[in-house]
Amino acid sequence: MKARSFQYLTFEGLKNVWVNRLMSVASVGVLTACMLLMGIAIAFSFNVDVIMGTVEDQNVVMVYLEDGLSDGDRQEVEDALRAIDNVKNLEYVSKEVALDSITQGFRDDQKLLFEEFKGEENPLPDALKVTYKDLSLFDETTGQIEQMKQNMKISEVSNKRDVANQVNSLRNVINIASIWLIALLMVIALVIISNTIRITMFSRKLEISIMKAVGATDGFIRFPFMIEGIILGIIAAGVAFGLVYLIYRLAADAVTGNLMLNLNLLPFGSFAAIIFGIFLVLGAIAGMLGSLVSIRKYLKREGSEFSEI
Amino acid sequence: MLKVPGAMLPLIEFKGVNKTYDNGTKALADVNLKVSRGEFVFIVGASGAGKSTFMRLLTREEAPNSGEIIVNGFKLSKIRHKDIPLLRRTMGIVFQDFRLIPTMNVFENVSFAMRVVGASNREIRRRVSNALTLVGLGGKARSRPSELSGGEQQRVGLARALVNNPTMIIADEPTGNVDPNMSYEIVELLSEINRRGTTIIMVTHEHQLVRDFNRRVVMIENGMVVADNFDGGI
Ligand SMILES: Nc1ncnc2c1ncn2[C@@H]1O[C@H](COP(=O)(O)OP(=O)(O)O)[C@@H](O)[C@H]1O
Ligand SMILES: [Mg+2]
Repeated sequence: MKARSFQYLTFEGLKNVWVNRLMSVASVGVLTACMLLMGIAIAFSFNVDVIMGTVEDQNVVMVYLEDGLSDGDRQEVEDALRAIDNVKNLEYVSKEVALDSITQGFRDDQKLLFEEFKGEENPLPDALKVTYKDLSLFDETTGQIEQMKQNMKISEVSNKRDVANQVNSLRNVINIASIWLIALLMVIALVIISNTIRITMFSRKLEISIMKAVGATDGFIRFPFMIEGIILGIIAAGVAFGLVYLIYRLAADAVTGNLMLNLNLLPFGSFAAIIFGIFLVLGAIAGMLGSLVSIRKYLKREGSEFSEI
Repeated sequence: MLKVPGAMLPLIEFKGVNKTYDNGTKALADVNLKVSRGEFVFIVGASGAGKSTFMRLLTREEAPNSGEIIVNGFKLSKIRHKDIPLLRRTMGIVFQDFRLIPTMNVFENVSFAMRVVGASNREIRRRVSNALTLVGLGGKARSRPSELSGGEQQRVGLARALVNNPTMIIADEPTGNVDPNMSYEIVELLSEINRRGTTIIMVTHEHQLVRDFNRRVVMIENGMVVADNFDGGI
């Protein structure tokens, strides 16, 4: 295609978006909703991956001891744990050490909040950190330790694997739900876009009939409508990106501000480019597909293609 | 009537052409016809006779069910979809309803036909103003179609059909929506265009017009060519 035609047709496509703005807004709206969900799912999944990374590789079980345990009682528990074959290592984590390590994760001004928990007020239990030799025996060994709760002064056995499993299944639920929802929205977006373009084509029937009569090629006739679709897709990508950014900011503030969660979200910039790239490609493809669907029928129509409009 | 050398291929040739629409209407039956370069042909006949079908076969909006149509070297029964635009660039099509774009002025309406086949701005400026001068609308380039009379609007349609320098003009009832006295102007213009070498195929049912312009007349009735004064007269 000649450069001047390209310029002319691109401008025509832009004009279509504006002339047909009500439907354009509808198209962009649905496509944006679709991308928004996708963006949130992606951002969630990035963060879960990081959290899981710190969780999954630890074949560690924390054995929390009852409050005010004597050294003898503790020794008894330690010996019993060491007697288990699969136990590789034992580490005593006093409540003071535990509080320190939690405090570490916070900014200096936030650390002050933990001052009052120091000493007698410390609500954390003493614990034994148990490392396994063979991860494949994880459940068995953990079961054995759970048994010990019956006759020893153990308040709780917790392993991060439980947490990992919960986060994992939450991620699966979110993934499956979002895939279906995104697919559904995508179909709706395509239908709306193709209808938008169909309406534009209808309102440009006169021009199209003249173009056909004077011998414009299919590609030429198609081009402004494809541009229209692509522009709709790109606008949707921009709006969705902005919204994902805002929502993420709010979520990050909420999560970071919540001391109990002890969790920091990834900075948005670390995956912003990926999300924007996906949005752009998705938007352009959706816009192009949507327009092709409606143009194809129109151009292939044989018979009285321009003498009767 | 121009005498065409026998060796020269006809510009248009219909050989045993039949056309039946999908709904079963038989519109043309065994049409045989040759039109040479430079001719001016009136196609006449009653409403529903098949005149428009004949024109739509020429422009390859419709394909024949059987028979062969050759236009400007294109075999229309075998033409590929992507070659149809090339065929149409050899013809200037004039519509009964003018087909002017109301939001564009006269100049833009004519240049539209050039723009969509990729002409340059310089070419467009030169050729559009030539075409408008030829049809006598040089002074109305900035007018909107709604500010023009029917006859003037059709002259814009003619300028648009001419502007890409077609070999032939295809006009299905171009005077159908024009005042009778204005019809003469349109046919006068077509005659002038014809004098410059462009072949004209024009459908009309205005008998007086046909009588006053002494040209070849092809009469279609019930889908058949029943008279053709190409070598004799009706
Ligand atoms: N697209 C079409 N589908 C079905 N029948 C048609 C179509 N176009 C025309 N016809 C029929 O074919 C016959 C010839 O029509 P047409 O060529 O338009 O005649 P004319 O132009 O001489 O009035 C008529 O009976 C008409 O009803
Ligand atoms: Mg007709």
